[in-house]
Amino acid sequence: MIHEDMICPFCGCLCDDLVIETKGTEVVRVDNACTLGSHKLMNAGKHRLKGPIMRDSGQWRDASYEEAIEYAAGILLDADRPLLYGWSSTQGEAQGTGVSMAELLGGVIDSTTSVCHGPSILAIQEVGHPGCTLGQVKNRADLIVYWGCNPTEAHPRHMSRYTTYADGYFLENAFRDRKLILVDVRKTETASIADEFVQVKPGGDYAVLSALRAIVRGREDVVPPTVAGVTKEQLLRVAALCKEAKFGALFFGVGLTMSPGKYKNVRNAIELVDELNRHTKFTLTPLRGHYNVYGSNEVFTWMTGYPYAVDFSRQIAFYNPGETTAVDLMARKECDAALIVASDPGAHFPKKCLEHLASIPTVLIDPMHTMTTPLVKCQIPTAVTGMDAPGTAYRMDGVPIHVKKFLDLGYPTDTEIIGKIFEKVKEVRHP
Amino acid sequence: MGFSIIWYLREFIRGEWLKNFFFAKTAPLVDPPYFRGYPALTGKECTHCLSCMMICPTPGAIEVLREGETWTPHIYPGHCIRCGLCVEACPEDVLDVGRVLETQHRDQTEISVRYQVTVKPEACVRCGNCVVACPVNKEADPQLGATGTSANDEVIMKIRNGNLWVIHDEKCTGCKTCEEVCPTDAIAIARVAEGTQEGKA
Repeated sequence: MIHEDMICPFCGCLCDDLVIETKGTEVVRVDNACTLGSHKLMNAGKHRLKGPIMRDSGQWRDASYEEAIEYAAGILLDADRPLLYGWSSTQGEAQGTGVSMAELLGGVIDSTTSVCHGPSILAIQEVGHPGCTLGQVKNRADLIVYWGCNPTEAHPRHMSRYTTYADGYFLENAFRDRKLILVDVRKTETASIADEFVQVKPGGDYAVLSALRAIVRGREDVVPPTVAGVTKEQLLRVAALCKEAKFGALFFGVGLTMSPGKYKNVRNAIELVDELNRHTKFTLTPLRGHYNVYGSNEVFTWMTGYPYAVDFSRQIAFYNPGETTAVDLMARKECDAALIVASDPGAHFPKKCLEHLASIPTVLIDPMHTMTTPLVKCQIPTAVTGMDAPGTAYRMDGVPIHVKKFLDLGYPTDTEIIGKIFEKVKEVRHP
Repeated sequence: MGFSIIWYLREFIRGEWLKNFFFAKTAPLVDPPYFRGYPALTGKECTHCLSCMMICPTPGAIEVLREGETWTPHIYPGHCIRCGLCVEACPEDVLDVGRVLETQHRDQTEISVRYQVTVKPEACVRCGNCVVACPVNKEADPQLGATGTSANDEVIMKIRNGNLWVIHDEKCTGCKTCEEVCPTDAIAIARVAEGTQEGKA
C-alpha cells in the first residue's frame, strides 16, 4: 500500500512530502526522505518491545498493560516530588494530558528542551523572538546564516526544502541569489558549501556576536584585529553581507545554546538581529532537534504559562530553570519517582543524575529498548507517533502539523496510556 | 669626480635627452589580432543548455542567470582565465572572444560531450541539495525545485527508496551545479569532451 504526503517524525523539519510503501506491517520503500528519516521509517515496525516489562527482584518479566499502568499510577501517587520528563517525541495530545496529570500530582513536568534549546527560550523571554515561518525564509531570504549547527548532518533537508537551495517566490535565480554564512567551531560539511565560513574559537560566540553588533552600529573602531579567532576583516565582510541582504534568516543550534555563555549567547544573537532590522529585514529561528520538542513548549505554555521545567508543588505553576529542570532535580536527588516519556535521558544525562534515576521507581513509556531501559523499573511500549499513531506535532518554526499513521501494529498510543494512568491518578486525587 | 652633482645636472639637463624622455615614439597600445579578452555576448539567444558552465575549467567564472524571460551567461572577470572554451562549447554562438568563433567556423570544429553522474551512497546524506539545485531538474519538474518534492520521473536524479538515484543522466548538461552544492562530496560529474572536426574523426 502506498501512502502519500506522509510526515517524517524525525527532526524539527517535519518534512511533509514523504511517500511510504508498506506491505503488511513492513515498510518496503520510502521516497523523498533524508538518510535519517528513511532509516527511522524503514525500521518502523522493527525492534519494538512486545508488551510492558517490569523488574522483579532484578529480573525483567512480562506484564500486562493494566498492571504496568497500575504500577505507574501507584509510584506517581506515592511520590512527594514526581518528575514527568521527556515529551519531545510524542503527540501534542499526550503532552497536554501529561501537563494535566503533573498539575493534579503537584509534580514537575519538564521536556528535553531543558537540555537543548532551553537557553534559547530564556533569551526569547528576555528580549523577544524575531521569528517567521520557514515558508517566509524559503520565498524571501537572500541570506541564510547557520550558527553553531550543522544542518547537513542534523537537518539534512533543511537547506533543500526551506532555505538555501529551494526556489523562492521572490528570487529570480534561486540559490544563485542567496548567500550562505556558516559560523561554527569546526569546519563541518556545511562549510564546504558556505559562501563565508566563520571559525570561532570554542566559547567565543558571545564576543563575535558583540563585535558584529558593534560593526552594524557603526562602531567598528572598538573591534580589535581578531575576535575569538575571527579576523576583523572577516567580521566586516559578514556584517556587510548581513546589511546588504534584502531578507536575512539566522538559524542556530545547540552549538550556540549549550556553549559557554548559554542563553546570553542567544540573547546577543537576537539583539544582533534586532540591530540588523534597522537596516534590512532579519529573522531568527532555533533549529529544533526532536520532531515535536517545539510542541512540548507550545503545549506547556498554553496550559501553564511556561515552556518547560514547570513545577506544580506549590499548586500553581512555578518555573525556575536551573532549579526545576530535570537534570537539576535528579542531581539534587530531589525527585522520588519519575515518568519518562518518549525520550532517552539514559543516553544523554550526567552519570550523577542517572545514578539517582536508577535508585528511584521509574516508569518509561517508549516503544523500544533504549539506553534508559536498564535504569527503570517498568517500561510500557506504545505506538510511535507518525508511524502507527496519528497526532499533532510542531515544526521548528511553530507551525502545527497533523502527523499521520501508516502502520497498524496494535499498540496503544502515548495519549491512551498516559490518559489511563491519569484516570487512575484521578481516582485517588480528585481534581 | 664623474659622479658629482654637477655631473648629474650636465648629464640630464640636455635638450636631446629630455625630448627623448618625454616625447618617446613608441608603438600605440592596441590589442594584437590574436588577443583574447573576456567573452562577450554576441546578442544571439541563450537556450540555457549550460554547455558553457560545463566546459569552464575555473570555479565560479561563469553562471547562466535568468533575466525576466530570457537566460544570459554572466562572466565573472576575477575568476575567468579567458581560455575561450565557453565560446567553443556554446552551440548557439551566444558568446564570442578574440578569433575563437571565426576560427571555429572556418575549421568547422565543435566540442562534443557526454557525462556520467556518479553518486557515492556511503557519503550521501540524501539532503536533496543537488536534486533541488540542478537547473535541468528545475525545468523538468518545477515542483521539485520549489519544495524538494518529486512530482515526475523526468529529472536527472531524485531521492527514491532511501537513495539518490540517477535516472536520466543523458539529460545532464555537465554544469556541475550538483557538485558545488553537495556538502559531502557525494556526487561527481565525469565529463568526456571531444573536439571534432566535420569530415574528420
